[in-house]
Amino acid sequence: MARSEFDVSQEVEYIRRVQKGDGETFGLLVEKYQQRIFSILFHLVRRRDEVEDLAQEVFFKAFRAIRSYNFQSSFATWLSRIAVNHCYDYLRKVRASHLSYYSEMTEESAHELERKAESPPPQGLDHGEKLALRDFVGRLLERAPEDDRLILTLKELEDYSVEEIADLLKLKTSTVKVRLHRARKRMLEDLERWRQEGK
Amino acid sequence: MDCKEIRDLVRERWGEELPAEAREHMSKCAGCEVYWRNARFLQTGFRALAEETPPDASFGFASRLVRRLQEWGATGARSEFFETVGRRFVYATLVLTLALLLSLVLPTTGPVRGVAGADFLALQSHSQTSQPDVVGGDLADTHDLIPGGPTE
Repeated sequence: MARSEFDVSQEVEYIRRVQKGDGETFGLLVEKYQQRIFSILFHLVRRRDEVEDLAQEVFFKAFRAIRSYNFQSSFATWLSRIAVNHCYDYLRKVRASHLSYYSEMTEESAHELERKAESPPPQGLDHGEKLALRDFVGRLLERAPEDDRLILTLKELEDYSVEEIADLLKLKTSTVKVRLHRARKRMLEDLERWRQEGK
Repeated sequence: MDCKEIRDLVRERWGEELPAEAREHMSKCAGCEVYWRNARFLQTGFRALAEETPPDASFGFASRLVRRLQEWGATGARSEFFETVGRRFVYATLVLTLALLLSLVLPTTGPVRGVAGADFLALQSHSQTSQPDVVGGDLADTHDLIPGGPTE
């Protein structure tokens, strides 16, 4: 069994030990959850080279705040909440705004990409097209307000359910649904605006 | 169904099939058709983004972090404690200084304040000597406030 695989009762025991100041045991929790935190950070920030530094800051914060963890939500949710909040401030500082990769494509290949991405079910995109689409939608997401970006990333990229997002962000499920609806609306408006400007 | 209802439905049933009524509307309404196509475009884009694998933690990430935490525990926690205590001390000092300054600057009598202790003594001596009030106020009214003072 890998060091990072342990059951819930063991996890509770480890957390209690860390709450008493045991840093070594915290390492086991880090190993268990690092991939999850890396994934959230990467999808929210979209900067591969900064993910590890951010993750370190998140775990550092978690260690310092672990005494306040009261086992009401799962440790994974508590940790993810710290990661999301940490990213929130980061995102407010860093705002990218240009749509470079996609706009550098020829008009013909841009149309081809649009056609493939829009058709239900989406036709197979080749590697280059997938990269271009990722780049374009990623940049649209970067331009979105932080709240929209957060909720869309958790729902669309991290595949969280509405209930999980509500738990994570400490919101009502109805609020999450409304925000998600609004975020999609704004993204669609932004896409439409960009298309009208581009044509 | 009107255009607004169709667009609400597109956002609500994100990634799902739309009912026949909505599809029929879209076959006649170019605006809603574009809206729906844009939604499909974004959904495909999100899927492509989700497929992107996050970077792995570098080798020894957890142990490096623990080492850093232990270093921080040795010095950082202590300095953080002193920083917190120091900050509280500074705040308390500022509040006390402000209170002291206010007590010096504000007049001892006035419309806002009642009869202060010092004034009380002054009034008592005034009532004994029956001197006219220097400030110019008529103290006749305040005599009622002074216990044992002249009631007249």
